[in-house]
Amino acid sequence: MRTKKIVFFSAFKRVIPEDFENWLEKMALEGWHIERIRQWSSIIMIFRKGEPKKYRFVYDLRAVASKDYISTYKQFGWQFLGQMASVNIWRMEYKDDRPEAFTDKDSVTGRNNRTVAAVSISFSIFLIAAIAMAVALIFFSSGIPESDRIQLIIASVFFTVLAVILGCVMIYIHKGSKQSTR
Amino acid sequence: MHKEKAIKKYIPMTETMFFILLSLQQEQHGYGIMLHTKNITNKRITLGAGTIYNSLSRLEKDGLIKTVSEDDRKKTYIATKLGKTILKIEAKRLIELCENVKSLLEE
Repeated sequence: MRTKKIVFFSAFKRVIPEDFENWLEKMALEGWHIERIRQWSSIIMIFRKGEPKKYRFVYDLRAVASKDYISTYKQFGWQFLGQMASVNIWRMEYKDDRPEAFTDKDSVTGRNNRTVAAVSISFSIFLIAAIAMAVALIFFSSGIPESDRIQLIIASVFFTVLAVILGCVMIYIHKGSKQSTR
Repeated sequence: MHKEKAIKKYIPMTETMFFILLSLQQEQHGYGIMLHTKNITNKRITLGAGTIYNSLSRLEKDGLIKTVSEDDRKKTYIATKLGKTILKIEAKRLIELCENVKSLLEE
């Protein structure tokens, strides 16, 4: 029987915070556990087989947090699994009532808005990079050697595709947060 | 924060802010606020850790509450004069609402 499950790009496949939380919960119900979240967890996650458990996971993106952030959550019984990028992942075992960290509309939309803001920063970076490369190609192509030009075209296409994907993600989360507050 | 600005921002008040400010008439830490709120609402409202943390940061930044003590595990807060004033303004508004709907129940 398999005792390890390796998942790639989990956070990129589930960009909506709720989706990511529910996915981790489903994995835990099937007995797949992750004990520590690290910076590279959004790219690769290793789950180990154990007893099926009912856990509630919380995805909380915060660029800056004061030092009582961790202690406040811990007081409420949340277990800190770690941080990937600026996302803090929390876990709590439960029986009947599913625990919530965000209990009003304001804080749910707040969390989702912080996620959109983070995505839009990367969106802008990729968009600017794509535009800069396109400008270089159009106006200075004569000065660029043939091999470099092909590389530049590939890179610019790559950045454009990333910018489009991130743009879609922004709209998707934005729509999702509107629906959940209705 | 200036009183007028705080009125604009906090009134009408969300239930979360209302119960946090009410709990902070006495010194409390985050978890204490949750217990107190659960108690006085007969378990109707259970405030989550993220919600309390966000609200406390915002209220402190706007000067409605302040830190009383801080050791490495717990930070305790209490409502400031401004916080108490804002809560009283909200209380008056709520009583006015009650007066307005009373006749509906008397019928």
